[in-house]
Amino acid sequence: MNIVLRLAWRNLWRHSRRTWLTIGAMVFSNTLLVFMISLQFGMYGLMINNTLQVFSGHMQIQAPGYKDDQKMRQVVHDVQPLAARLRSELGSDTIAARGWAFGLASSAERSYGIGIYGVEPAHEPQVSNIPGLIEQGRYLEGNDAAEIVIGATLARNLRIGVGDELTLLGSGPDGSFAAAVVDVVGIFDSGVKEIDRNIAEMPLGTFQDVFYMDGAGHQVVLLAPELDQAALLQSRVEGLLAGDDGLVVEGWDALQPGLKQAIQADISSAFFMYGILVILVAFSVLNTQLMSVLERTHEFGIVMALGLKPGRLGRLVMLETAMMGLIGMFLGALAGALFTTWFTVNGFSYPGMEEMVANFNLPGRVYPRVTLLTMFAGPLVVFVFTLAAAAYPALRLQRLHPVAAMRTN
Amino acid sequence: MHMFFVLSRLAWRYLWRNHRRTIVMLSAIAVGTWAMIFMTALTRGMVDQMIADGISVIPGHVQIHNPDYLDDPSVNNRIAYTDTELTARFGNAGFSSWASRVRVPAVVTSERESRGVTLLGIDPEAERSFSFVDYAAVDGRFLEGPDDKGVVIGAKLADTLETRVGKRIVIMSQDPDNEIADRGFRVVGLFHAEMEATEESYAFIGKHTAQDMLRIGDTVSEVVFVGDDYRDVEPVFDKVAAQVDDSVLVSRWTEVDTYLGTMMGMMDGFMLIWVIVIFLALSFGLVNTLVMAVFERIREIGLMLALGMKPAMILGQIIIESMMLLAVGLLIGDLLAWATIKPLEGGIDISVVAKGMEMFGASSMLYPNLDIGDVILANVVVLVLGFLASLSPAWRASRYEPVEAITKV
Amino acid sequence: MTAVRCIDLCKTYRQGDQDIKALDHLSVDVEKGEFVCLMSPSGGGKTTLLNAIGGLDIPDSGEIWIADERIDRMSKGQLADLRLANIGFVFQAYNLIPVLTAQENVEFVMQVQGVAAAERRAKSLAILEEVGLKGLETRRPAEMSGGQQQRVAVARAIVSRPELVLADEPTANLDSKTSAELMELFTELNEHHNTTFIIATHDQHVQSYAKRLVRMLDGRIVGDVEQHAA
Repeated sequence: MNIVLRLAWRNLWRHSRRTWLTIGAMVFSNTLLVFMISLQFGMYGLMINNTLQVFSGHMQIQAPGYKDDQKMRQVVHDVQPLAARLRSELGSDTIAARGWAFGLASSAERSYGIGIYGVEPAHEPQVSNIPGLIEQGRYLEGNDAAEIVIGATLARNLRIGVGDELTLLGSGPDGSFAAAVVDVVGIFDSGVKEIDRNIAEMPLGTFQDVFYMDGAGHQVVLLAPELDQAALLQSRVEGLLAGDDGLVVEGWDALQPGLKQAIQADISSAFFMYGILVILVAFSVLNTQLMSVLERTHEFGIVMALGLKPGRLGRLVMLETAMMGLIGMFLGALAGALFTTWFTVNGFSYPGMEEMVANFNLPGRVYPRVTLLTMFAGPLVVFVFTLAAAAYPALRLQRLHPVAAMRTN
Repeated sequence: MHMFFVLSRLAWRYLWRNHRRTIVMLSAIAVGTWAMIFMTALTRGMVDQMIADGISVIPGHVQIHNPDYLDDPSVNNRIAYTDTELTARFGNAGFSSWASRVRVPAVVTSERESRGVTLLGIDPEAERSFSFVDYAAVDGRFLEGPDDKGVVIGAKLADTLETRVGKRIVIMSQDPDNEIADRGFRVVGLFHAEMEATEESYAFIGKHTAQDMLRIGDTVSEVVFVGDDYRDVEPVFDKVAAQVDDSVLVSRWTEVDTYLGTMMGMMDGFMLIWVIVIFLALSFGLVNTLVMAVFERIREIGLMLALGMKPAMILGQIIIESMMLLAVGLLIGDLLAWATIKPLEGGIDISVVAKGMEMFGASSMLYPNLDIGDVILANVVVLVLGFLASLSPAWRASRYEPVEAITKV
Repeated sequence: MTAVRCIDLCKTYRQGDQDIKALDHLSVDVEKGEFVCLMSPSGGGKTTLLNAIGGLDIPDSGEIWIADERIDRMSKGQLADLRLANIGFVFQAYNLIPVLTAQENVEFVMQVQGVAAAERRAKSLAILEEVGLKGLETRRPAEMSGGQQQRVAVARAIVSRPELVLADEPTANLDSKTSAELMELFTELNEHHNTTFIIATHDQHVQSYAKRLVRMLDGRIVGDVEQHAA
């Protein structure tokens, strides 16, 4: 080993208790950082996927303004042919057309106002997870069948089951009165209260008949293979629609502004907490290195008198800090990864979490994922701040006068 | 007591002997304390606001319903008592604020659009003091009495329905026989609320008008009671429970809105965890500082022992030194927190992430709440844990053999 | 009257892989009011003997009596009380508490004893004047010379009028003039207050002040003579 390295290493262990305590501060903070970052980004991913896979998709083609107002008359004309054209031109089957209407659903005993989706039974399962969540009965089959699937809570509130009839009352885009009687063929249970209580789906063809849509719908939903390919897909779709200026493509963050903002709000408060942890570690390192420099003043005086330049002493101090920081970083990343892995296997939850994360379509128990990024992002920042904290003691050395230094003990 | 004074003076002097180290450690404690209190004040402010907003929508601290109502909020699940009986039970029982209301799901239809809402039939005077609607700030006017024939809806809902004050809308619900009960209403006022969802979800009509329209005589869906403090609803709960029999269910607000109830409990848990995490991050530096402080005066400790000081006094001296360090750091941190939170009490505008905050159930203004109980808890936790963390270095210091300590260089 | 009685003391240290006999069946008596100089080359055992008499170090075997009390069986707490009440210590160097002023250092022992503030103040001012430090009461150790520091240490050792003062190489870090002054002070205190002094030293100059000279080698007494002050 290089003599300077060896010197730095030995200096580090002159006060092994102090060094270990400083490393302990790093390991503690790093463990927390790894765990929290893994959990956080794992949750964001789940939040986005779970929310988008219910209805939003990665993007939707809509009439301008529909996103904010959801009015019946803000339609996409010939919505099914459009969806079919996109499916063939993009070579993708994760594209489906939909209509949406508000209506009063009445059973023999009860009436509730609900949101009704008109969907393509053949394509909806590729863009939404609702078809897969049918708990009783079956999902929709024919495009023109007079049938409907409803949420579990809604079924309970309406006091109906599979096979019962449901009367729908509503109005078409022109305000004309719409009414129909359909058969309940299936009941889904998504676990999301709002959806299970308020939503029903019927075949798009029937929907268009009942609500006088004249072949129109309200949205074409598209799902990219992965979230990070959504932007690329969106620009391709925009290219294909270039001639059709009656339509816009809205990305997931525009469709679900709350989701992105909730993540932003969560990130800012989390970063505040991370920042405080990092600063506290930096203070710990500053304290240790300041002590380590002050108690060696005499010794530094001697080597300076022998001709060593203060710059080299400063580098020695930085080298010692870097060694300590590296140990802290790797032990911390390792401890954090092990700690987090335990939760990866067993899941993580706390009292009240289920209620809170249900707002974001999350289950009450989450399983954080450790990646190289979540494992080292936090510890690397801690390492950088560790070095920065040692700068003050290292720079103090520049002002050291050999004779004065040797006089102290 | 005398000895305490002697040891305190020694401890205080020793604290400033190595002033750089003490200042670094004080900074760390101050920053940590500041972060504890600042973060807690923000979170406490957010949760308080959420609960205040949430309770105002519920509203009230205690409610009574038909036992089946919370699960199935239908017009069929009404309270068994008539309005006259309710007045007999509660009118003279010493409740400062209470109101009975009709509350059913309904559909509102304009010429253009339909939406589902919660229809509230109220006596405006009875709930003026605790309603989430500020009657004076309504565009147009609020309801004038239980027989008012108009409807007041949220501004956002009016936008969606493309209606405004003076125009007519149709409200549709069901009567106890599941016949459609509908009636045309003139919009007399538009209310504003912190959250868009609130503006979209409620329509107010006169209580008697509602009873008439729904053909339910003089029965209601719920009775709400407001007490002095939402944190302690037991007195009101007990008083209400004493006035009713088994035919109705008495619930606290935490049971009506379990999400809010959970959030309140979670807040206190979060607070404690955050304080402990910061303390642990600080504790490494604290122990390190004490170890160093002991190390550099082993000889002096030996001397004191040789002069006849008992080991317990050395132990006391180090612990007092640690407590002083913490107390000064806490004081600075408390003042810093106070100084940074006070200017923000007018509210922090976080409307950039308003949609996201709405998903949590929080509004877009954040009013930090510097709760004295939180401050005391943070300080006490730090002092108690700090005391425990100091025990080990202090114990070691008191275990030195005087001869060995004195001869140690 | 016997101030200190040591009977058949043994104490062995391990240093590296060697056993060193610091005290080897040593017996010695010191009468009240004596001024004893304990001489030996370094490692001769004088510091060990001094520490044993002061209750800082427990011998492996033998008995130590201070006045009428046997101290080698006492608990740490009892020993601390004994030192506090009956024994004054003067060590080589660095033997003041650096964060306290000269006067506070002198008052320290009395404070621990629980002496009232006014009495403490009067006694400490008087003793500082007696050792020639009037006017330096508020200085901290770092602001005083080595000789002045040792005088403060002496003042602290004698302020509560102990029966016995133990000094371990008190002149080690002093120049010859200051050493002489310190020894004059000891002699004066010994004659004035009849305080017993045991001083361990290898300084030839110091021994000329002693009334009794005890020489040690390898943990044993090899010479014990009365002499008259020069």
